[in-house]
Amino acid sequence: MTKNIDRKGPSFHRHSLRKLAWGGAALVATGICAMAVAQTLPESAASILGMDAASLARMTASYQRTASIPSPQDNPTTEAKVNLGKKLFFDPRLSGSGAISCASCHNPSFGWQDALPTAVGDHGGVLGRHTPTILNTAWAEPLFWDGRADTLEQQATGPMLANAEMAGSKDKVVATISTVPEYRDGMAKLFPKDPYTIENVAKLLAAYERTIVSGEAPFDRWIKGDVNAISDGAKRGFMLFNTKGNCASCHSSWRFTDDGFHDIGLPGSDIGRAKIMSTLPIFDHAFKTPTLRNIAERAPYMHDGSVKTLEAVVDHYDHGFIQRASLSDQVKPLHLTAQDRADLVEFMKALTSKDSAVSVPVLPR
Amino acid sequence: MIHKITAAVAVAALLAGAAWAAGMTNISQKGLAFSSPALTIEKGSVVSFNNDDSTSHNIIVSGNGVNLNSGLQAPGVTFKAPFLKPGVYQVMCGIHPKMKMTVTVN
Repeated sequence: MTKNIDRKGPSFHRHSLRKLAWGGAALVATGICAMAVAQTLPESAASILGMDAASLARMTASYQRTASIPSPQDNPTTEAKVNLGKKLFFDPRLSGSGAISCASCHNPSFGWQDALPTAVGDHGGVLGRHTPTILNTAWAEPLFWDGRADTLEQQATGPMLANAEMAGSKDKVVATISTVPEYRDGMAKLFPKDPYTIENVAKLLAAYERTIVSGEAPFDRWIKGDVNAISDGAKRGFMLFNTKGNCASCHSSWRFTDDGFHDIGLPGSDIGRAKIMSTLPIFDHAFKTPTLRNIAERAPYMHDGSVKTLEAVVDHYDHGFIQRASLSDQVKPLHLTAQDRADLVEFMKALTSKDSAVSVPVLPR
Repeated sequence: MIHKITAAVAVAALLAGAAWAAGMTNISQKGLAFSSPALTIEKGSVVSFNNDDSTSHNIIVSGNGVNLNSGLQAPGVTFKAPFLKPGVYQVMCGIHPKMKMTVTVN
């Protein structure tokens, strides 16, 4: 089975994922059927939005899900890597105290976030930014709110080794993977030349994270042609999202993100992207556009977790942002009606899939 | 200030000369992607990056000691980059870093 996946090179089809023996594979499998069906919407769906079916089809085309999950040439995804990476992801022994794991903040119960305004580190310290989801990170490079990691492999061990976050150390991580028999033997098989390195841990974590993909949402079923998959309000919300609301200028593609960096006018002293790239004034207060997939499960919102509800998110973009030199030229007063705001929220809720429960692994000793 | 203006004029003259000498290639930025992921051109060519998107971009060209930055490139605006030295150059958008392409200069 592993060879079958390997032969597909840097990407593998979701059907391959179904063969993976880890419990969370069902999460991905829920989206599989979406790929095979031609995407058409009936006239009746278009008429609600006051546009012809062909125009609606053009509007929905860019939101069709992709059929395969990418992985880099130097770390192709395999079942063995995913299985071991999952255990490491849930293993608190990689933190300084031995009390928290990657999953402590990226909790599958809360959309792979932590439901807190901003994250809490190993020593109980409150961090400055909201925990971003790891849903669909296989496509999400660069990573972090400020984009400081170019790849998932670079990102994977950053929080683990950051003193304010997991407060781990290379020595402790290496000691864990080289002394726990299952880790020791697994690493030796996967990386026979130099098995016990932090870089290999990063590869395993990245391999597992690439399999965490949001499933088919009601919106996906609607653009496939199931006219009853979402409410009329959500359909109107979709139209607003792409027109008057201007949301799609940044929340684009099937993941509803441009993977870009924008200042959306939130207060605060965090300069975000400008700390990484200061070549233009617009990078001040700019943060990465988050995906909107499974957004209903991921409150609170924004990079600082300052907005508690989707209704308040819409209000922010309508009139609540701060005017300043770095503000994105895509953010401007929207003059939404109460019905518009309700429809946009209804639409965003339709982006949330009912994913299967993720099994927490029994950790090796 | 005078030095800066002189330099700008010199670059403009160089750009015009280079374009005349080795030609111009158009690259469109549309749908948050470059129209080609890789391009091979002759030394002295100019690449015209045309923002055909409805959102702003920021072209950054790097490699072989060169660092060009378009600044904020509004929709409809073109940025012309001269490639005067052989080698491989990375091109990306600073706002949307997933927008990448390479330019190989012979």
